[in-house]
Amino acid sequence: MNKVTPENIRLLLTRYLDGESTQEELQELGEYLGHADRLPADLMPYAQMFALLGETQPTPSVQALDRLAADRPSPDLSLVGRGADTNGGLAGNKSNYSSPCKGEAGRGSHRLGLLLAAACIAAFAFILLAPLRLEEESMAVAYVDGKKLDDKQAAMRMGQEALQEIFSNGNQEEQLSNIFNGL
Amino acid sequence: MKQLLITLVAIVAALPLSAQKGLRIDEVFKGNIVNELALQESLVKGESLEPFKLKVLHTVKFTTSSTQRDRVEALFEEDMKGRLSDDDENLELEYRDGHLYYAIVQIADIRKGLHRYICYQSRTNMAEHTITLVYMEGKASLADLRKTFKKK
Repeated sequence: MNKVTPENIRLLLTRYLDGESTQEELQELGEYLGHADRLPADLMPYAQMFALLGETQPTPSVQALDRLAADRPSPDLSLVGRGADTNGGLAGNKSNYSSPCKGEAGRGSHRLGLLLAAACIAAFAFILLAPLRLEEESMAVAYVDGKKLDDKQAAMRMGQEALQEIFSNGNQEEQLSNIFNGL
Repeated sequence: MKQLLITLVAIVAALPLSAQKGLRIDEVFKGNIVNELALQESLVKGESLEPFKLKVLHTVKFTTSSTQRDRVEALFEEDMKGRLSDDDENLELEYRDGHLYYAIVQIADIRKGLHRYICYQSRTNMAEHTITLVYMEGKASLADLRKTFKKK
C-alpha cells in the first residue's frame, strides 16, 4: 500500500476486522485514522473506535486477531466501498470492533467492576438492615434519677403508667366529676 | 458505579437511626432540655409490647419550671405539624390557660403499617409542671390504644 487513500483504508479495515492485518498495516491504519483532518463519513466511526481502543493506534498481535476471527462471526463489511452513511452500521457492529488485546483487559476490569458493585451493595445492605434488626430486638430499661434500672418489669410499669395517665385525661375528669356530683 | 454509590448514600442519610430520631422532642428524650438526672425514663422494645400491638414505647416524666415547660411544649407543637390528620381517629388535644394540657397525636408513618404516636401531658402544681412525654410506634391504631390504656 504505497498510496493512502480512503479506498485503501477501507481495504485495510476489512483485513483488520478479518484478523489479517500486519503490524505495518495496523500502524498505517492508526496513523491515517488518528491524524486525518477530513475523513469520509463512513470512516469516522472507525477513527473514534481506534481512538478509544489505543489512544493512538491499536497493536493487536496476529495470533490474537486470529483468535478473535475464530471466536466471532465475521462483521458486516458491506460498508467497504460504499462510502455512504454508516451510523446504523456502527451501532449494529460496535461490539465486533473491540481490540482482542483490550478485550482481555476490558473483561478483567468489567469483572472487577461487578465485584466492587456487589461488595458495595452488600455493605450498604448490611448498614441498612443492621439498625432495623437492632430496633426489633427486645429490650426494656428504665432510668430514675440518672440511674439505670435493668428491671424489665419496672420499665414496663413506668411505660404503662405514663400511657394510662395520658389516655385517661378526659376520663379522669369525668370520674372526678361523677364522684363530686354523687356526694 | 458512582451513581449507585450516590443513590445508596442518599438512602442511608434519609433513614432515621433511632425511634424518635428526626422529631424535635428527641431533644427532650436525650436530656438536652431538662437535665437527664431529673428524668424518669423508660424504653421498652420488642416482644413485651406485643400484647399492645406496639414495637417501641419510650416515655419520660419530669417536673420542671414554666420556662422549660414552654420549650418542651414548643418542640411538641413543632412535631404536631407532622400529624396525620385532625380527625378524632388520629388526634386528641386539649389546651388550658393558653398551654397544652394533653395531646395524643398520630404522626406520619415511617414505614407502611407502622404507626407512630407522640403524647404529651402537663400537670401544674403551683409554679412547677410535671410533664409526661411519650413516643410509641407499632401496628396499634389510636382506637386500640384507647381501649387498652384508658382507665374505666
